[in-house]
Amino acid sequence: MEIRLAGITKVFSPEIVALEDIFLTVEKGEFVYLIGTTGSGKTTLLRLITREIVPTRGQISVGNRNLRKIRSSELPYYRRNLGVVFQDFKLLNDLTVFENVAFVIEAMGVPPRIVQTRVNEVIDLVGLWRRRFLKPMQLSGGERQRVAIARAMANSPSIFLADEPTGNLDLHTSEEIIRLLLSINAAGTTVVVATHDQYLVDAYRQRVVELHDGRLKRDEKRGRYVIDGEL
Amino acid sequence: MGSFRYIFRDTLRLITRHWGLSILTLLTTVTVLFLLGLSSLFALNLRHMVSRVEGELVVQAYLKGGSDATALAKRIRSVSYVRDVRVISPEEALDRLRAKLGNQARAVTLLGENPLPWGLEIQVEKASFVSMLVRDLVALPSVEEVVYSGQLADKLSRISVLATRVSAVIMLLGAVISSLVIFNTIRIALYSRSEEIRVMLLVGATRTYIAFPFVLQGLFLGTIGAAVANGVLAAGYAYAVNVLKLTLPFVVLLRNTPFLIKFHLILLGTGMTLGWMCSWFAVSRFISGANRPE
Repeated sequence: MEIRLAGITKVFSPEIVALEDIFLTVEKGEFVYLIGTTGSGKTTLLRLITREIVPTRGQISVGNRNLRKIRSSELPYYRRNLGVVFQDFKLLNDLTVFENVAFVIEAMGVPPRIVQTRVNEVIDLVGLWRRRFLKPMQLSGGERQRVAIARAMANSPSIFLADEPTGNLDLHTSEEIIRLLLSINAAGTTVVVATHDQYLVDAYRQRVVELHDGRLKRDEKRGRYVIDGEL
Repeated sequence: MGSFRYIFRDTLRLITRHWGLSILTLLTTVTVLFLLGLSSLFALNLRHMVSRVEGELVVQAYLKGGSDATALAKRIRSVSYVRDVRVISPEEALDRLRAKLGNQARAVTLLGENPLPWGLEIQVEKASFVSMLVRDLVALPSVEEVVYSGQLADKLSRISVLATRVSAVIMLLGAVISSLVIFNTIRIALYSRSEEIRVMLLVGATRTYIAFPFVLQGLFLGTIGAAVANGVLAAGYAYAVNVLKLTLPFVVLLRNTPFLIKFHLILLGTGMTLGWMCSWFAVSRFISGANRPE
C-alpha cells in the first residue's frame, strides 16, 4: 500500500505547528527511516497515518483511501491494514505474551484454531516462543519490544509503522529488531520507522526522510543519519 | 462464531481479572438497588394504606318504602368505580341498632313495628368517587336519603392524590439516583481499562467487539446485584410484616404474594436493565471520545 501526504499541516492548539506543508510519498514495499530531533514531528506523522489525528490542512491517503473522508465505522477495517509498534509498546500488562499478540487477530473474528497457528508463528519469529506464557512485566525491554513487533505483525499488515522501535535497547537487540523489520519489508510490507538510532540508519542503509521543526528537510535514497545540531 | 466466543471469554476475563473492581461495582449495585427497592416498597405501602382506608369508606342509602333494594343494588354494582354493594334489610338494621344501643337496647321494643327502611351500603374504589356517587344516588327516585362522611371523603381523596404523587416522586428519584450511581461506578471501572480500550481501537477492533464484554459485565453485575438486593429486601420485609403485626396491628403492610413476586421481578428487571444500559452508555461514550481524532 502506498502512503501519500500532500501539503500536510498539523497545528495543535494553541498554535503549536507540529507539521508544516509536508509532501511525501512512500511507495508500496518501501523501507523508510523517519529521522529528526525530538519534537520534529515524526510521531505526529505516524499518528496521522494511523488516523489518531487528522491534518489541519492537506490530504493524506493510504492505498486509495482518503483518510480525511474515512468514516468512524470504517476506521477499524482501515487500521487492520496497519501494524503499529508504539514508542511505549502499549502492551496489556494483565495478558500474557500469547494473549497480547492474539487479541489483534481475535478482534477480526478469526477462528481460534487459526489464531493459535498464526500467533505461535509470529512469536516464534520474534524469538519469544519460550516466553509466550509470561506477562509483559516479567520481560526485559527488548523482549517487550519484540512482543510489540509480533503483535503488529500478527494480522499480516500491508503497512508497518514503528515509532522508536530500538529506543533504550542495547546495540545487539537493536540490530536484531532492525533485521526483523527488514525481513518484514522483504516480504513486501511497506515499513516506516521513526528513529534516533544513528548506528542502525547508517549500518542498514535505506531511504531517509528527515524532519526539522515540522518541515521536510531531506529525502534521500539510501541516506545517512545526519541531523543539524546532532553531529 | 469466533467473535462470540472471544466476547464471552473477555467478559469472564473482565469480571475475574479485575475482581476487586467487580466486587466494588457489585456492592454499589446491591446497595443502590436495595435502597430503590426499599423506597419503592415504602411508596407502595403508603398507597396501600391510603387505599385501604378509602376502601372502608361507606356510603349509606336509605330507600323509600316499596322500593326493590336488590334490583337497585344490582344496578349500582354495575357502576365501574363501585367496589361493593350490600343490601341491608330493616331487620338487620334493627339488629345493628340494638347492638349499638347496648344496655338501652330494650328501648327499641317501644318502637313497636320495625320503622327502619331498606338500605344499601356502598363502597367505592377511591374516596374521590364518593361525591359523584352521592350525586347520582340522590337523583334516584327510590332513594330517600343518603348518608356519608363528606369531609372525611374529601380529605381522603386529597391524601390519596398526595400519596400517589409522593410515591411516584420517590420511585422516580430512586430510579434516577440509582442510574447515576451505577453509571458512574461503571464509568470509573471503565477508566481503569482505558489504555486497553485505546489499544484495541488502534489495532482495529470494532466498537461492538470492544463494548460487548463491558455491556455483558454490566448486565451480569446488575442481575446479581438485583438478586442479592431482592433477597435482602424479601427477608427484611417478611420480618417487618411479622414485627408490625405484633407491635402495631393497625398498620397493615402489603401482603399480597402475587403482587410482591411481581415487585421483586420488576426490581430484578430494573437491575438488569440498569446494568446493561449504564455500561452501554459509559462504554459508548468512552469509545466515541477515544475514537475522535484530534
